Amino acid sequence: MDLLAKELVYQPGSEFHLDSMSFGMKKGEIYTLLGRTLSGKTTLLKTIAGLIQPDSGRVLFEGKDLNSIPVWKRNIAMVYQQFINYPHLNVYDNVAFPLRQRAISDNELRLRVSDAIERVGLKDFESRRIQELSGGQQQRVALARSLAKQAEILLLDEPLVNLDYKLREQLREEFSKIFTSEYSSDSILIYSSTDPMEAMQLGGETIVLDEGRILQQGPASEIFENPATTRVAEITNDPAMNLLSGEIAGSKVIINSKMSFDIPIHFRNLASGQYTFGIRASDIALDKKGYPFNVELAEISGSETFLHAKNENVSLVGQLDLVKNFNVGEKVNLHLDSQKLYAFGLDKNLASSPFKELARG
Amino acid sequence: MNFKHKYLFLLPGLLVLIGILIFPVGFTVRLSMSSWDSFFPGLDYVGLENYFRIFQEDSRFWEAFGRLSFLSVTTVTLQYVLGFALALMVWKDIAFKRFFRVLFLIPMMTTPVIMTVIWKTFFHESLGPVNDFLNIFGWNPLWLSSEILSKITVIIVEVWQWTPFMFLLLLAGLLSLPKEPYLAASIDGAGPYRTFIYVTFPLMAPISIGAIIIRLIEASKIMDTVYVLTSGGPGTATETSSFYIFIKGLREFQFGYSAALSFTYLIIMIISLTIIAKVLVRLMIRDN
Repeated sequence: MDLLAKELVYQPGSEFHLDSMSFGMKKGEIYTLLGRTLSGKTTLLKTIAGLIQPDSGRVLFEGKDLNSIPVWKRNIAMVYQQFINYPHLNVYDNVAFPLRQRAISDNELRLRVSDAIERVGLKDFESRRIQELSGGQQQRVALARSLAKQAEILLLDEPLVNLDYKLREQLREEFSKIFTSEYSSDSILIYSSTDPMEAMQLGGETIVLDEGRILQQGPASEIFENPATTRVAEITNDPAMNLLSGEIAGSKVIINSKMSFDIPIHFRNLASGQYTFGIRASDIALDKKGYPFNVELAEISGSETFLHAKNENVSLVGQLDLVKNFNVGEKVNLHLDSQKLYAFGLDKNLASSPFKELARG
Repeated sequence: MNFKHKYLFLLPGLLVLIGILIFPVGFTVRLSMSSWDSFFPGLDYVGLENYFRIFQEDSRFWEAFGRLSFLSVTTVTLQYVLGFALALMVWKDIAFKRFFRVLFLIPMMTTPVIMTVIWKTFFHESLGPVNDFLNIFGWNPLWLSSEILSKITVIIVEVWQWTPFMFLLLLAGLLSLPKEPYLAASIDGAGPYRTFIYVTFPLMAPISIGAIIIRLIEASKIMDTVYVLTSGGPGTATETSSFYIFIKGLREFQFGYSAALSFTYLIIMIISLTIIAKVLVRLMIRDN
């Protein structure tokens, strides 16, 4: 492992921002820190960058203890949520700034700056001042600056979060292209996000954070398919995975004593008893033969409708592939695809997932 | 309501403007074309005679102007450097920050003339505590009666008195700077020194230019310090333009001639400060 964090603790107040966090990262890999707000993503990135000194624990890079190295001497680049640039400099000088702090020949500087500017699609904007650019362009400048530096560790702290929806979609695609195909294999790229889609799109390894702790680490698809706990299942799905308490009784899955399903094949090895069942919003559909629910809220987003529905004490969110206006209180029948059910034990750990069992089967 | 009434509302402001600015300037111009003095009072007309006298005969005025330029530029430069250093010091998180902020402002809160009297006592060549101390090492510098040292004394007093003003303006500027570029600079590999050169200094350029110009305008009127400290002496070693105009107008009562001196001085100051401002903008704001 090239970057090692050992037992990092940072507790500025009563709450832990980093709670005994340990992990290892390798050069040439992309890591996504996935977690809700206040999960410790930014604190961890700032600790790696040197902007925060942990209360205890160490960060080692290639065997060297980074804690004793001041921030400006670490070979690290960072892009922030806010569009952070130098307002008194134009685009070219902004991108050249980190290179001018090093002994680099003018020729190499020009090449690297022009290359970085071209990669983020701002070739014709070199002499523009920062204030003359849109938010998306300003963030591209920040990205170009971090790319030009060719740092050994590149940190991206929710770089798309402050952009509007369309631009976010567009830049998300561009970013993943830049990082997956062009970024140096000599670097570690750490990208933090609250959006599971971004983690999936970037690929690489995902680290799920919550309240300053690592809940799960592994390939993005593996975490998405097999979330280790109910909390991971909530964090890695947007909308969060529906969690419903119920039981397995013989050959039946019974949810809240209201809904009953034939036991799906991937639950066959589970003992009878109490479980928390999880189902993704996308695995719920309108079906006349389904269970009756009352509509509490319907949100139309693009070509989808997020339907919040309730049946006595069972509340869930369904992601329907249609655009339809539902009235509050309207009765709908919803089908829960039992083949897509997850089962979590009373300790909230994953007991069975459709992907694991399907793979076995 | 009749729209013409708007002029009625403008009238008080206009009257004040005419009373305190336009009339005095107009009258000075007219006065400068007269030979009004204590022997022949009256607003006669001599054309540009007084101006020819300034440019052809009065080398003392130009020497005073040269001295003024030297004193202004030196004092303002020192005030800027010291004011910036002090502002940077209390801008950072240091112990007793609030105490130091107030402490550095004290000289500005004192009455300049009284403080100059105290400084004069301080630098008194036979009775002052400065020479009392230096006598221990066998030195007895002539702070007020040496041609070179008297200028340095004026500079010391001016810098002491007005550095707090520069400090205040620059500290306000520093406190209003955005935090983000500093975050970026530290990550981008700029240490404290480079961060100052490449981030703080350029970001502070507009405020610095404003502060320097304000102080240059103030410093170019230097009068009370010279009047109390050295009375322009020894000889004319510390005589500045405004002090010279004061001598011509209010000691020798050559009103017509001193009006011509004043008007010439005003025009020169407007032109030179405009040029200085443009040069500063070009030097300090690179991208422009």
